[in-house]
Amino acid sequence: MRTPTLLALLAATSVSFAAEDGAQVYNTLCVACHGPDGKGLNGLPPLVGSDWPKGPAERSIKIVLNGLTGPVEVAGKSYNIDMPPQGAVLSDEKIAAALTYVRKTFAGGAGAVTPDLVKSVRAATAARTTPWTAAELLKAHPFPAPRTALVNLVGTMYKGEWNEMPDFSKLKPAQIEDENTGIVSPAQASLKDGFAMVWEAKLQVPEDGKYTFVFDCDDFGALYVNGERIAEIKGIAPIGGRRKEVPILLKKGAVPFRLEYVEVAGQEVIILGYKGPKHNEYQWLSDTKLGGGAKAAAKARTPIPIEAKDGYTASYRNFIAGTSPRALGFGFSNGTNLAYSGDNCTVELLWTGKFMDGAHHWIDRGAGNEPPAGDGVVKLSDGFAVTGPSTPSGAIVAFQGAKATEFKSVPVSAEFKGYQLDKAGNPTFKVAGEDFSFTDAWTPADTRGAAGLARKIVASGDKPVTIVLARGLAVAAKDGALEVGPRLVVRSLSGVAPTAAAAELTLTLKPGESAVLGYSFR
Amino acid sequence: MKKFTVTLLALLVLAPFASAQAKKKAGKPPAGTEALALQDQYYERVQIPTPPGEVVEVSSIALMPGKKVAIATRRGDVWVCEGAYEADLSKVKWTKFASNLHEPLGMFYKDKSLFLTQRPEHTRLTDTDGDGKADVFDTICAKWGINGDYHEYAFGTDPDKDGNVWVVLCLTGSFHAYSPWRGWCVRVTPEGKMIPTTSGIRSPGGIGMNEKGDVFYTDNQGVWNGSSSLKWLRPGSFQGNPTGNKSAALLGFPDPPEPKSGSRILTERIKFPEFVPPAVVLPHGKVGNSPSGIACDMTKGKWGPWAHQLFVGEQTASQVQRVNLEVVNGLYQGAVFHFLQGFEAGLVPVRMDQEDGTLFVGGTNRGWGSRGSQPFTFERVRFKGKVPFEMHDISARPDGFEVTFTHPVDAASAGDVASYALDTFTYIYQSAYGSPEVDQTKPTVKSATVSADGLKVKLVIDGLVRGQIHHLVADGVRNKAGDALWHNEGWYTLNEIPAAK
Repeated sequence: MRTPTLLALLAATSVSFAAEDGAQVYNTLCVACHGPDGKGLNGLPPLVGSDWPKGPAERSIKIVLNGLTGPVEVAGKSYNIDMPPQGAVLSDEKIAAALTYVRKTFAGGAGAVTPDLVKSVRAATAARTTPWTAAELLKAHPFPAPRTALVNLVGTMYKGEWNEMPDFSKLKPAQIEDENTGIVSPAQASLKDGFAMVWEAKLQVPEDGKYTFVFDCDDFGALYVNGERIAEIKGIAPIGGRRKEVPILLKKGAVPFRLEYVEVAGQEVIILGYKGPKHNEYQWLSDTKLGGGAKAAAKARTPIPIEAKDGYTASYRNFIAGTSPRALGFGFSNGTNLAYSGDNCTVELLWTGKFMDGAHHWIDRGAGNEPPAGDGVVKLSDGFAVTGPSTPSGAIVAFQGAKATEFKSVPVSAEFKGYQLDKAGNPTFKVAGEDFSFTDAWTPADTRGAAGLARKIVASGDKPVTIVLARGLAVAAKDGALEVGPRLVVRSLSGVAPTAAAAELTLTLKPGESAVLGYSFR
Repeated sequence: MKKFTVTLLALLVLAPFASAQAKKKAGKPPAGTEALALQDQYYERVQIPTPPGEVVEVSSIALMPGKKVAIATRRGDVWVCEGAYEADLSKVKWTKFASNLHEPLGMFYKDKSLFLTQRPEHTRLTDTDGDGKADVFDTICAKWGINGDYHEYAFGTDPDKDGNVWVVLCLTGSFHAYSPWRGWCVRVTPEGKMIPTTSGIRSPGGIGMNEKGDVFYTDNQGVWNGSSSLKWLRPGSFQGNPTGNKSAALLGFPDPPEPKSGSRILTERIKFPEFVPPAVVLPHGKVGNSPSGIACDMTKGKWGPWAHQLFVGEQTASQVQRVNLEVVNGLYQGAVFHFLQGFEAGLVPVRMDQEDGTLFVGGTNRGWGSRGSQPFTFERVRFKGKVPFEMHDISARPDGFEVTFTHPVDAASAGDVASYALDTFTYIYQSAYGSPEVDQTKPTVKSATVSADGLKVKLVIDGLVRGQIHHLVADGVRNKAGDALWHNEGWYTLNEIPAAK
């Protein structure tokens, strides 16, 4: 039995008599991340210089009550860090005191926060059980509209398709709009694909000196400052690899600004900012900022290419989009790549070109799946790929859904047992059931001049095994080979030949048998 | 009134000595940066240079024969360091043993292989051709669920006396159980069998064993955790968070407890005998914010006079805390004290070399920041031989606590009840995130009796509260040289009050 004593009640009461000390609350709980000076401990968002604690206090109260999750922009930097909710920890009085302290000390004397306001926000958001996102909060409690150095900004939109920067003087505008925000954005075109835009404005230069413009876009773009074309992005490519940083000397006053932009297809993004003699941080003239927002961050993040080096095959174990969570990637020296599913005991993805970009999982917390970095990903199969004797091993396959509330035990006939690397780092995967096992080796091999892979499967044990090589792709015999889907050609090079059906390719091996297959890309 | 007189008298008698002490040393025990400055007298903390140009966010540390130390990183690399014990660390040599595994958290060396627990599986890495690089990667056990969520961390131990590795499996996103066995501790046998061992886990930061081989893990403040704490993984137990309970049905286990939210741990654990309460609560914001790795001192004095105490890493504050444990009525309980600070990043793995007395720690600031200013760190700490004046341990008695000190105490200050202050509190046990401190009480120290050797003080307390955290501040205690304590406070989790014999 618990024994709440009279003494306990008395002590608790006496504690709550004292006026809440906001500095004390801050220095006990908030300080661990935001720092004693409000500047943010390493890697965590500051309060000083941030718009978040300013303005309507409801925004801050909501964050403290329910926390904040996902990407957030603070004082010009992007973060992807969860703030844990404190609503269950702190009373209305303590939250009011802490926020009053924060607003007074770190937010340039923003007004005090009353416990009553906290109480009303708590009541109004009582149904909320998950942390807020920055987007939700800014929709409800926006920052004041940004004012930039672009004055009298006008955006002109043209419809059409171009493979180079058009001569805008010969085009007929489809739409002309004043952009009073001083911000350029492809969204102002109100079209997804097949348009061009030209923005013109006066750029207010605050003082003489050297300015650096950063510019990137998807797809084409050209930036003119003071009548000079200072940066150009050519061709169709995603954002990230073509970023320009250009210095230019400017004199105080208003100078002509012009930005030309062509969107062919796919994503549309413009990143444009500048820093000057007195500002070391970029001032943004575009809605997307370098490293701002999750999608833009993904696009603008400096890639960490993982690739075969000196003939040694690269590997990558992490969440790879298109296969299951127990993914093992291998990138071969001839520009072919595979992703093996440890859950399903087979290679599920093949692709060519770049192997993987490590930046997604190796910067910040690494949430989510990273797609292969190369092209033409072939999805060979989905689901468990091995049929052995009926005895299940009792292994459990996880439910793969994002929000599964129920999952069940699914006995499977075989388990992934690991892999061995040869001298060049090429993998041989091992799979075993109760009465059988097989190895599955992959090496880079050019077939008839085209980059490809050789796969050797060797069975052992007492019982035969059937392995799904492809499922859900059209299989057609042609010139002694099998065309598997639109990209892949599979050849039986020696040993047991696979069995082709309309949309399935399987291989059945008895103990001691083997098969060597050649994979090439069309 | 009588007490007041006695105290006043004591003050008068002590006054001349007190002022002498004040000249020698300010009466207030050191805190913050002062404690850090003192640390250098007792412990030498050195950063070990990591491979140049490499991102080495240390996530696991293993000791190998020949004074080699292996580390794994969050990016999944495994490096072997030679020279980590040397005086001249500029000559350390690093060899890359493996690349790009899946966020390994827990690694040990055995039978010429490195074993590591990575997110999807427990794995053995072997270099069979002797070229210094792993070429065989045996999947020993991959039977727990993962679904692509970055928070589904898996922390593994060294093998226990049966050769089993204990793995604690964080909840999906630290809130949900979207895959089998999230929120459980499982044991992995050498043959790869998985034995679900305890339910009730939330978000672990590390796992380790005490000298008896009992296994403990740290769980972070959040849903059902009013504060972070050090918990004992008694097989068959429920650790307090019911989110992962549904996995029990997968193997036909009985349903783990469904505790009532808004209650107290003590109330609920009396209802559910399998509910093992936290051995030592690490009060949130006071002791730390995110506890991590666990190392036991079995160095026979090489690490200082802390035989069998646990040393617990702290990510946010870049610290190492010290914990003494005892068993009362079948449950572990004990006290936590601040200990080492000033590490260069948020600590995750801690590894004690039991032969040598060197503590290796590794840290990372990625994703979760810390007081340390560097993105990652690998450090070594050694005891310099000078024993700091500390509360060695706090032990529960039927009528109070016995505090053991590391130096003989000054009988006048240590025998004065005014040298101590005690308060107790607990947390709401609830499904919401964290909890305020509640049920505060202020027990009275009725007497303080110093042992003949001056090393122990028996505090008779009026108002011990079962189930609460007892925060003892021994501000006024001095050793015979007149020094104050290096760290003057400890937090004892009084799960059980021992019965009088």
